[in-house]
Amino acid sequence: MIELFRSLFTPPRHMILLVAAAWLGMTLSEKRATRHNVSIEALNNLTFYGLIAFILGGRLFFAFGHIDAFLKSPLSLFALNPDLFDALGGVVAAILTMLIYGQRQKLDLWNTFDALTPLLSVLMVGLGLSHLAAGTAFGQPTDLPWAINLWNADRHPTQIYETLAALLTFGLVWTLKPNPRSGLLFLTFTALTAGWTIFLAAFRADSTLLLGKFHAEQVIAWAVLAMSLGLYEWRIQIIEKEINL
Amino acid sequence: MQPTIRRILFIVILAAGLAWIGLSAGGTQTVTAAPQEGFLAPDFTLQSITGETYTLSDLRGQAVVINLWATWCPPCRAEMPALQKMYEEYKDQGLVILAVNSTVQDTASAVAPFAAEHSLTFPILLDDTGLVTNAYQVRSLPSSYFIDRKGIVRQVIIGGPMAEALLRTRIEDILR
Repeated sequence: MIELFRSLFTPPRHMILLVAAAWLGMTLSEKRATRHNVSIEALNNLTFYGLIAFILGGRLFFAFGHIDAFLKSPLSLFALNPDLFDALGGVVAAILTMLIYGQRQKLDLWNTFDALTPLLSVLMVGLGLSHLAAGTAFGQPTDLPWAINLWNADRHPTQIYETLAALLTFGLVWTLKPNPRSGLLFLTFTALTAGWTIFLAAFRADSTLLLGKFHAEQVIAWAVLAMSLGLYEWRIQIIEKEINL
Repeated sequence: MQPTIRRILFIVILAAGLAWIGLSAGGTQTVTAAPQEGFLAPDFTLQSITGETYTLSDLRGQAVVINLWATWCPPCRAEMPALQKMYEEYKDQGLVILAVNSTVQDTASAVAPFAAEHSLTFPILLDDTGLVTNAYQVRSLPSSYFIDRKGIVRQVIIGGPMAEALLRTRIEDILR
């Protein structure tokens, strides 16, 4: 079953899973947009500009990082190779563009984050599935009965763990009762995602090690978790002050 | 939830996270052979179209690009000139390009004329039993593996054609 899935979505076709997740997530975000006082049109424009900035920014950041290679063959800037891409640069470009657009349109930051939460949580499911298809983010060898054979060893199916955790997170944020306190839905999502990332990254075998022993994903996720919980507390205090006034 | 209880809960969660990070610290993977980034490149021995024998492990100390291809595959054909250009540019720095024809799914007699037509000077190997195609778990052609001087796969690129800039950045990475 897993082999069939991996054959169907073998790279670069695994990106279809991300595109499908983005489409489904966006559809769900649109459905709930008005609940967060964000118009569907504004949400569509925001994500469209963000997507364009992600694609262009990712390529441009990569090109600036390897300027010599691109000066020798400038037409490569327009090549269709997805590997000529700096994902972190793309994310930075997308966030900046979305912040600028949101500010110009006077979108409330926390309401917008809440409106985008279904999109982000479905994207996390798509990411887990694309990892499974590509065989990346693979687990450590194990003899557990649910191990999958990958890269010549029986391993923890970390991609399946990741997909299930993302599905549960989506299920929770989708079914939570509407909360008039803006930002808490988004912060619940980021805290949960960071929480299961800290737990599951322990089973991964492809991690970059910090200081020779700490999984980089866990350290980054812990920082995100701390920030999410801190902001959650801060949002509650701000909102309670507003209510008391 | 009471604010104090909530804050204590948050602190407990963060402390548990730190403890788990500490508990799960340590090495992540042993170096075994697999066609994936971070693994030792699976070894093989194949004959070239000119009759020479190439064993991957004999090339340890040199940076190696393994390009699996077939004559009927348009992107494979399209990226050959860029591979040839890179080979000419970097071979003196220790680059070896092994163009492994997946002969198990190609016509052996078409390979040599193809190489001559494109003036390819790097070794063209014939995988007529599917040994490399299977060992590298090839699902799509072309598939390219960038292997560093220690024999570790540093990058896998599936699909093509690869742009010159892509080849250049990956080759410079494995030549370091």
